[in-house]
Amino acid sequence: MVQQIIKRDGRKAPFELDKIAGAIFGAAQASGGQDYEMAAELAKLVEQALETELKDGTPTVEQVQDTVENVLIKNGHARTAKKYILYRNERTRVREMNTRLMKVYEDLTFQSSLENDVKRENANIDGDTAMGTMLKYGSEGAKQFYEMFILDPAHAKAHREGDIHIHDLDFLTLTTTCCQIDLLSLFDGGFSTGHGFLREPNDIRSYSALACIAIQSNQNDQHGGQSVPNFDYCMAPGVKKTYRKCFLRNLERALEIYRDVEDEDLESREIFDEVEATSGLQPILIGTNGFEDKLTEKLQESFDDATARKITAFCRRHAIKETRRTTYQAMEALVHNLNTMHSRAGAQIPFSSLNYGTDVSPEGRLVVECLLLATEAGLGNGETSIFPIHIFKVKEGVNFNEGDPNYDLFKLACRVSAKRLFPNFSFLDAPFNLKYYKEGHPETECAYMGCRTRVIGNVYDPTREIVNGRGNLSFTSINLPRIGIRSHGDVDWFFEDLDRKIDLVIDQLLARYRIQCSKRVRNYPFLMGEGIWMDSDKLGPDDTLEDVLGHGTLTVGFIGLAECLKALIGKHHGESDEAQNLGLEIIGHMRARMDEAAKKYKLNFSVIATPAEGLSGRFVKIDREKYGVIEGVTDRDYYTNSFHIPVYFPISAFEKLGREAPYHELTNGGHISYIELDGDPTQNLEAFEAVVRYMKEIGIGYGSINHPVDRDPVCGYTGIIGETCPRCGRKEGEGVPLSKLKKMGLYKNLNSTTIGYNGAAAEEADRRPNTLKIVKE
Amino acid sequence: MENKEMNEMLIGEGVGFERIRRITGYLVGTLDRFNNAKRAEVSDRVKHGLSSCCSASEQHTA
Repeated sequence: MVQQIIKRDGRKAPFELDKIAGAIFGAAQASGGQDYEMAAELAKLVEQALETELKDGTPTVEQVQDTVENVLIKNGHARTAKKYILYRNERTRVREMNTRLMKVYEDLTFQSSLENDVKRENANIDGDTAMGTMLKYGSEGAKQFYEMFILDPAHAKAHREGDIHIHDLDFLTLTTTCCQIDLLSLFDGGFSTGHGFLREPNDIRSYSALACIAIQSNQNDQHGGQSVPNFDYCMAPGVKKTYRKCFLRNLERALEIYRDVEDEDLESREIFDEVEATSGLQPILIGTNGFEDKLTEKLQESFDDATARKITAFCRRHAIKETRRTTYQAMEALVHNLNTMHSRAGAQIPFSSLNYGTDVSPEGRLVVECLLLATEAGLGNGETSIFPIHIFKVKEGVNFNEGDPNYDLFKLACRVSAKRLFPNFSFLDAPFNLKYYKEGHPETECAYMGCRTRVIGNVYDPTREIVNGRGNLSFTSINLPRIGIRSHGDVDWFFEDLDRKIDLVIDQLLARYRIQCSKRVRNYPFLMGEGIWMDSDKLGPDDTLEDVLGHGTLTVGFIGLAECLKALIGKHHGESDEAQNLGLEIIGHMRARMDEAAKKYKLNFSVIATPAEGLSGRFVKIDREKYGVIEGVTDRDYYTNSFHIPVYFPISAFEKLGREAPYHELTNGGHISYIELDGDPTQNLEAFEAVVRYMKEIGIGYGSINHPVDRDPVCGYTGIIGETCPRCGRKEGEGVPLSKLKKMGLYKNLNSTTIGYNGAAAEEADRRPNTLKIVKE
Repeated sequence: MENKEMNEMLIGEGVGFERIRRITGYLVGTLDRFNNAKRAEVSDRVKHGLSSCCSASEQHTA
């Protein structure tokens, strides 16, 4: 008689025949059986077999299970045996996952981000902080829960084994990716953050502050980033209000000086209001609209002509000066806020993107100039700001050529990007962007989320192909190199298998979409509660999202086209035209499949050139274990980003861009190309601009130029630093004599958390910011 | 003598340089925040010359 069994942790437990019978019956039921008696008899056979095999020994759980399998097969219960084996594998997987999760938690707890790659999965989350670690606990636990209980097992398996990657899996049942916020409609009449109500802003400082708050609030309702598609248009009314306020304030000052003592009833406010009311005009920043003449006329009732004119001129001069200063301060504050304000329990700052460059109004132009100058100046100690991501919208006739009204802003954008890596550039004239463009309708100007996401076309509601209030819902990437490896050069098989993966991803995106649609407005107090998302203003707090989420995009992504082509035909698209043609065929096929799905489901299925930060190393690690080291395919620690030419491959900037450009047209869910520029581009702005112009000419949708931006925190130098700092001459880790720093005019910044002596060196102190004189001071 | 030594105090020992790079379209604080795969990619990046370019570039640099 078997009395006991040895459990997995080594402890002994009583041997219970009923349990074995129950397990067998469960497996039999799963394959259609209903006979418990039979199961009980089989359990007895198992006991007998164990006794024969082990004599008086005590069996382990594994031995018992092996015996159950043998007995089932021997007695002709093959189907039940199969189910039993499946059940057993599943239990093993769950057990291993539990152990693995605890191991992950242990590492998160006791390792710093220096040692722990999981903590550095996303570079913008500080995994070393208490809240950052807490987020990681939640994230890792949620992923496992969904994998075990929510995901379709086929999707879970494909994700686990690295055929596909379900992005932001930790948020599977919770929310959507990102949104393009229309600040103007949000500000209209004021709004609530869910924690307090804010009045409609009345000057540019509150416009910029509220912009930050809106971005921050929305970020907490979604797992991706936040973008403002028309930042200049949204801030311009703030400048207008500020100018009016400044004008009135200076009228008050002027009257204080010029009016006689007996005229103390002469109130600036009354005069100003009356002129506005009778003329129907307001003071404007640039040019004349007649307001000032009317004001002078009104002032002539109390003053002589010369004094009246003097007062009006005084108001204008000082209002311009103050508006300019206030706008700069507002933009400086915005950059500082977006680099310091917390979101998601303090582990992150909001992932913010600002698109701008096409508003030709003086107010909008002033906003962009000030924002660019504040970015050029850098943060408190001259550091390069990481957020917001700036996207300068390039448009012929608006800012691209000499004579275009915003050409000066385009030049300034190039200058700032050459120093600070931002702005990136988007191209409204690329045919696939131009087809949505309607002059005078900023909401039809294609915008990008900083990382590259693009949302403008709309099959869910073709009458509203605009950027405002829309974003991506979720995306899932396909492991292209693996299909390439497995096809052994058979291109037909490659496309067949690619189709199978695309089918799977469509299915998975739809399943996730159904979960997302079942959520309610109250789950997203800002995004939906404040009507940011398109049509959510028509819903009540308990309504589900199923009528409005269709405006978002469902997106399939990909990584490693280069490695895929290498595996398929031995060459990547940077080194062979044949590979380039095949590459275009592959991505073109993915796009055709998504267009087909969009038509079939009336949902915005699209293709994205996946950003892949966390994913860059994941697939290749699994594939190397499976298929070994394959030259040009699995021999590096990362797969090449999306359709990019491999970073290690020597190629000229223009050829790289030329080869990547056609993929921009195919990837309607988002794309970016960048090149690595040698040397200090601030010393060669012509070359920098030439690259941007070339991008525009060849139909790139979104691009940027990389160059090294290094900074020495000791002397504050920003630029290229090789082994030694060109300003203070120290090597990394070396100290600099205090006397030397003092001689260079560096001072100790009391608020600085860095050790050194920071600030502008004497060489920079006299340099005046090179302003555009949009308004004269 | 003592005064001179004070002036020769060294500032910044043990402090590294900050290196900011674009990660996938956005920036991050410094390279040490990158995950292992992205670090490997950054160290493999080669510069793209402007000189070897086609007529298109000459057109635009003019």
